[in-house]
Amino acid sequence: MEPVYVQYAWLIPIFPLLSFLLLTAMGRSAQKLGSMISVVAAFAAMTLAVLVFVERLGGNATDYTWNEWNWLEFAGYTLHMGFEVNNLNALMLVIVTLVSALVNLYSLGYMADDERKATFFAYVSLFTFSMLGLVISSNLLMLYIFWELVGVCSFLLVGFWYYKPEAKAAAKKAFIVTRIGDVGLFIAILLLFWAMPGNSLEFSAIHNAFVGGEINEGLATWIAILIFIGAIGKSGQFPLHTWLPDAMEGPTPISALIHAATMVAAGVYLVARTYDIFLASEVSLSVVAYVGAFTAIFAATIAIAQNDIKRILAYSTVSQLGYMMMALGLGSKLALAAAMFHLLTHAFFKALLFLGSGSVIHAVHKQNIHQMGGLFGKMRITAITFAIGSLALAGVFPLSGFWSKDAILAETLHEGQPILFVVGILAAFFTALYMTRLYVLVFLGKPRESQDAHESPAVMTVPLVVLAVLAVIAGVVNLPGEPWLAGWLHGETLVEHANWLVIILSNGAALAGIFIGYAMYRKPANTALEASQTATEDVKNGLYRVLQNKYYIDELYQTIIVGPYRWLGNVLDTFDTYVVDGVVKLLSVVTVGIGRVGIRLQNGQLQTYGLLMLFGFVLFAVFLAGRRFF
Amino acid sequence: MTINLATSYLTLAAILFCIGLFGALTKRNAVIVLLSIEVMLNAVVLNLIAFSKYGIVPSITGQIFSLFTIVVAAAGAAVGVAILIALFRNRGTSDITEMNELKH
Amino acid sequence: MPSFLTGELAAFFIFALLIIGGAIFMISFTKVVHMVVSLAFTFLSLGGVYVILEAEFVAFVQILIYAGAVSILMIFGIMLTKHEEVETEQPWTKQETLSAIGCAALFGILFFAIQDTTLPDATDFDPGQDNTLAIGERLFTEWVLPFELVSLLLTVAFIGAIVLARREEGK
Repeated sequence: MEPVYVQYAWLIPIFPLLSFLLLTAMGRSAQKLGSMISVVAAFAAMTLAVLVFVERLGGNATDYTWNEWNWLEFAGYTLHMGFEVNNLNALMLVIVTLVSALVNLYSLGYMADDERKATFFAYVSLFTFSMLGLVISSNLLMLYIFWELVGVCSFLLVGFWYYKPEAKAAAKKAFIVTRIGDVGLFIAILLLFWAMPGNSLEFSAIHNAFVGGEINEGLATWIAILIFIGAIGKSGQFPLHTWLPDAMEGPTPISALIHAATMVAAGVYLVARTYDIFLASEVSLSVVAYVGAFTAIFAATIAIAQNDIKRILAYSTVSQLGYMMMALGLGSKLALAAAMFHLLTHAFFKALLFLGSGSVIHAVHKQNIHQMGGLFGKMRITAITFAIGSLALAGVFPLSGFWSKDAILAETLHEGQPILFVVGILAAFFTALYMTRLYVLVFLGKPRESQDAHESPAVMTVPLVVLAVLAVIAGVVNLPGEPWLAGWLHGETLVEHANWLVIILSNGAALAGIFIGYAMYRKPANTALEASQTATEDVKNGLYRVLQNKYYIDELYQTIIVGPYRWLGNVLDTFDTYVVDGVVKLLSVVTVGIGRVGIRLQNGQLQTYGLLMLFGFVLFAVFLAGRRFF
Repeated sequence: MTINLATSYLTLAAILFCIGLFGALTKRNAVIVLLSIEVMLNAVVLNLIAFSKYGIVPSITGQIFSLFTIVVAAAGAAVGVAILIALFRNRGTSDITEMNELKH
Repeated sequence: MPSFLTGELAAFFIFALLIIGGAIFMISFTKVVHMVVSLAFTFLSLGGVYVILEAEFVAFVQILIYAGAVSILMIFGIMLTKHEEVETEQPWTKQETLSAIGCAALFGILFFAIQDTTLPDATDFDPGQDNTLAIGERLFTEWVLPFELVSLLLTVAFIGAIVLARREEGK
């Protein structure tokens, strides 16, 4: 079948780019019109992406690549720019455009009262363009360009409410911390450029080189680990996870879009795209798996002790991304598929949870869960969809999250990594625990008298419902025993047997977490005083305090890294003031000094002038007569 | 060993000239400055006389030249003193450092 | 007597000492009149040197004009401009130091230039029987024009000095 839509896949990022350009040009004059343009562009992109996806479903396994545009030519080498569409891409295109469209729609309601919403939608469009460009890039350098662009958009959006100092600080933190990871990716690109035959950075060339074993394993390890460092930064893995919870200062729709479904998934996507490099090096796979596993359990423990609704969800994202990395680190085709499957389901239910939390925040204007309660009665749709999202996240049968988490855990046993399996189960338990805590404290119990909450407008609840439906049914694409997604991604039929041990254990862990969470946090308290008392009792517990302070990692970074860096900055500033400026001042002082001396010579005294004439004559005579010596 | 007397005369003239120059540049009384200038001119005359005897082409022209020099120097001294007297009448001082109208 | 110590050399040394001594005393005296007197002494010694150089007429003119007229002129100038009788002893000012350095440098250059030149001995110089006669012969034949111009100059100087120095009418 001739690919009809695939060759127009490059148009998919163009729609949001046009939206961005239009909105930037129109400026503040068209607030409402601008928002509508952005929504329309997002839905247009989504439509085309779905068409492309459907076309790829037809079983046509050859990838479509177009990289004819010679962007840079030097010294006999040409850098191409172009796009590539394969099954992995097509899936990502749908995920990104779908969530982007829903978030755009949601933002019509959420940002309705904001004066700068046209700017907001412009940034969101720019982000969507960058993310889509990242997804369909045909070579690693182009991907890096869009990678950086995505980071910039994240910065712009997190710092959207720039008049809040916390937002400014969070935006800077997000950009700088991800930048640290980006350095790793850049070095990897340089190494690849140096090592690859023909210096090509095209993904197809990378695939051929590494599958054919042309690059030695040591170099492949370095490249893979450096790429993974880039992924650590972008996907918020330990130790570069600190920016993600702070990035919750941004508006909730973009928390849903960027920090749940798309940008943070870029790290996973990057590893998947360059998977051949990782497969060439056992060491790198272990690194990926263990970092991912550690992050999963690390973030889950922190989430138990957080009080801000968005921060709990942020740590949950970090934890789930750790799951995906753990899966990628297993090194098999089914594992790759499991990671992408989890990315798909996570995009749906995490976006749902974030948008739901946005709905709650929009209603009560607070973010501390201890100050909420009993919202179930007042916000039915939000509450029900939030429950679906929470259960999906916890991994309860038969929601989508269960199937994807189960796929990952099954692969850990299949690949002979029992430690990872245990870590995964524990993390699942904690996940269920903190989500239950969240749900109970926010939605259950008696409502507070001071609250005047009501359900959000339809433009906000419709995306919630859509995502909830997807969160329920998305599991069917990759059932154990019928791994359709895995087969489609890799272009071959794969067989996987259902592992009943895993199914029972993962479900059991989830249910145990829910049960314990409900028991711990169900309380009839509906006054702020009782809630704070319970809270302080908890804080007295030292372990709780450590968790609440995120294991003091931020403080550690402050003393080890930020402090010395600031000191260095001060040193250099002193150097600049005294040495560099000093040289400039010296010049001016010298000139002024010469001027002052000159003034003294013009004192009207005849004898001074006579003396000067004498000196002049002596010098003249010396130079004239002395010439015969030189 | 013969000492060439010619260089001695010229050296003497040079010394005299420099002493006169020093006086012209440092003395505060204007009359003394004029006097120092006379010293310098005398050194020149001595040079001329020495060259008329020991120079490349020794002739009496050097002495005639020196006569003219003496005459002009004396005339200059006279006019200089006249100016100085007039200036003194205007300013009330003969201190050369007070005469700084050349400034700005 | 050493062979190089001719009478000319001995006389030259004595006169040179007098000249330089007079000049230095002129510089270093504090009272203005003393300065003029020591300078007159220098002029006289210069006349003596001219005699050694076989320029008797110039020596005569020197004594007449310099030691006589110019010195008296200067003393008149001192008299008519009220002066600080005594210049107080002062440590060397910057002007004085720099001038000394400059003059020393100039002397250095001149000395170096003098040393470098080769001058012949006085064998070709023919001063004639009578110096005055010889000068007169040349002056009124070959150099008569400058002579006339100099007399014009003297007239102008003379008139100019009177005009400059006279009291303004009605002051």
